[in-house]
Amino acid sequence: MENTEQRRHFFDLKIPLGSLLGFYGIVLFAYGIFGPKDIYDKSFHMDINVVWGILLIVISGAFFLSAYLGRRVRK
Amino acid sequence: MKPVISLNFVDYMILSAYVLITIIVGYSLKKYMKTSEDFFLSGRSLPSWITSLAFLSANLGALEVIGMVANSAKYGILTVHFYWIGAIPAMIFLGLFMMPFYYSTRVRSVPEYLKHRYNEATRGLNALSFAIMTLLMSGISMYAMALLFELMLGWSLTSSILLSALVVLIYVFFGGLSSSIYNEVIQFFLIWLGLLPVVYIGLHAVGGFQGLVAKIPPDFLHAWRQMGSASKNPMGVDWLGLVLGLGFVLSFGYWTTDFLVVQRAMASENLSAARRTPLIASFPKMLVPIIVVIPGLLAVALLPQFKVVHGGPTPDYNSALILMFAHYLPNGILGLAITGLLASFMSGMAGNVTAFNTVWTYDIYGSYIKKNMPDEHYLKMGKYATIFGVLFSIGTAYIVRSFPNLMDYMQLIFTFFNAPLFATFLLGMFWKKTTPWAGFWGLLLGILAAATHYLLYQFHILHYSSEMAANLYQAWWAWCVDFVMTIIISLFTARKDEKELVGLVYGLTPKVHSDERFFKKPAFWGGLSIAVMIVLNIIFW
Repeated sequence: MENTEQRRHFFDLKIPLGSLLGFYGIVLFAYGIFGPKDIYDKSFHMDINVVWGILLIVISGAFFLSAYLGRRVRK
Repeated sequence: MKPVISLNFVDYMILSAYVLITIIVGYSLKKYMKTSEDFFLSGRSLPSWITSLAFLSANLGALEVIGMVANSAKYGILTVHFYWIGAIPAMIFLGLFMMPFYYSTRVRSVPEYLKHRYNEATRGLNALSFAIMTLLMSGISMYAMALLFELMLGWSLTSSILLSALVVLIYVFFGGLSSSIYNEVIQFFLIWLGLLPVVYIGLHAVGGFQGLVAKIPPDFLHAWRQMGSASKNPMGVDWLGLVLGLGFVLSFGYWTTDFLVVQRAMASENLSAARRTPLIASFPKMLVPIIVVIPGLLAVALLPQFKVVHGGPTPDYNSALILMFAHYLPNGILGLAITGLLASFMSGMAGNVTAFNTVWTYDIYGSYIKKNMPDEHYLKMGKYATIFGVLFSIGTAYIVRSFPNLMDYMQLIFTFFNAPLFATFLLGMFWKKTTPWAGFWGLLLGILAAATHYLLYQFHILHYSSEMAANLYQAWWAWCVDFVMTIIISLFTARKDEKELVGLVYGLTPKVHSDERFFKKPAFWGGLSIAVMIVLNIIFW
C-alpha cells in the first residue's frame, strides 16, 4: 500500500511550481526597486515589475501553503 | 531588420530559470518510469487538477496563442467562438459520454480503441495518419515560433529550434508523459502570468474597457449579432456554417478523438477523475479569450498599423502580440512574457511528441513490427521514439522553411482526418450495429470526401465567401459522408459479436454508479460549464 501511495503522486508539483514563481517574484520585485526607472515610460509610469513581483510572491506562498496543508492532511 | 525587442540580463535570468526548472522536473521523474504504462500514461495515477490543466495547456501552443491574437486583431470578438461554442460542448461531451469508454476499457490510445471496436485496419489507418500529422504539426509550430523569435528578438532560426527541441527532448525522454504533464501545468501558470501584464497595461493605456469599446469598430464587439449572413461579418461565415462546421464537427473531432488531448485525461488516477479532466479544463478554457482576444483588440485600438482601414495594406497580424509586448512591457516583466510564450510553445510541442511516441510504440511498432515483446522493450522503444520524433520535427521545421505555403495546407489536411473520424467514433460508441468494415470504409470515404470538396473549391466549382467558410463546410461534408456511408455499409457487412463489444459501446456497457459527493460528480461540472458558456454568449451577444 505504501508503495502505491508513493507511486500515485510522484512528487508534489506545487513545490517546484511555487519555487519558480517565488524566484520570479523576488527577481521582478528587486529589479523594480533597484533597477532603472526610465523603462517605465512604456508602462505609463507604473512600476509593473514591483506590482507583478508582489503578486508572484503571493501566488508562490499560496502554493507552498497548500503543499504544506496537503501533506499534513495525508499524515 | 532590427529586432523590435531587446532583452536584458533580468529577462534572460527569467528565461533560464524556466528552462532549468523544466529539466529538473523531467529528470526527477526518471526514477518513477519503470513500466511502459508509467512512461506513456503516467501509470494512470494523476489527480484531476493536474490532468485538466495539462489538458488545456497541451492545446494552448504558441501557434494557437499567436494565431488567436492575430485572429482577434483581424476579426474582433468573433474569435471567442473558437473558445466557447468551438470547444466547450465538445469537452463536456468527452467528459460525460465518451471518457467512460476510453478509460474503463483500459485502452492505451485512441487507435487502440478503434482496434477493439472495429478492426486492425481501422486502427492502422488512424494510427498512421495521426503519427504523421502530429510530427508535421510539431515541426510547423516549431518553425513558426522560431521565425517569430528571429524577427522580434533577433535570435537565429537554428538556435531557437535547437534550444526548444533539446529542452523538450530532455524532459520527455526522462519523464515521459508525466514529465510532459507536470511541465504543462507549470506552463499553464506561466502563460497566464506572462500574458496578463500586457492586458493590464494595455487596458490602462486605452482608458479601461470603455476606452477600448470606443476605439474599435462596432462590428468587432459582438459575437453573434452579425452572424445572420456571411457577408455581414468580418469572418465571412454564417451562423449555420459556424455551428455545424466549428461547433459540431471540427470541435468534436478535435476534442474527443485527438489523442494529444485525450491522452492527458487517460493519465488520471480513476474514471471519475478522467471524466472531470475535460470538464474542469472547460472553465479556464472559457477564460482564455482574456489573454488572447483582449490583446488582439488592444492592438487594433492602440497600434496604428492595425487600425481597421478599408482598402489599406493588410497588416502582419501574426506580429500583433509581440508588438504589444514591445510597446508596453518594460524589461523584467518582458522576460516573463517571452517566457510565457516559450512555455506555450514547449507545451504544445511536448504534447505532440508524447502523443506520437505512444501511438508509434503501441499502435505501429508493437502491433505491426515487433509484437509480444517484454514490457521493457517497449519502454525503451518509447524513449527512442521520443528522440526520433523530435529529430523528425526539426526536419519538418526546415522543410517548411523552404516551402512556407506548406503551412496553409497542413492545417487543412489536419481537418481532413479529424472531422470524419468523429463520425466513426460517434457511431462506434453509440450504435452497436456498426460493423468493423463499415468503420474502416466510412473513415476512408470521409477523408476522400474532404479531399474532393477541397479540389472542387480550389477549381472554383464550389464558392464560399471566405476561406474559413470553405473549411468549416468542408469539415461538415466530410463528417456527413463518413456518417452516412458507415451506416449504409453496416447494413451489408458482418457485425461483431455483442459479447466483444461490452465496455466499448453505449447500451452494452453497465452504467457507472458512484456515491461521490455532488461536487465530484461529472454531471455537476458539465451542467455548470454549459450554463456559464451560455451566459457568456449572451453577455457578448
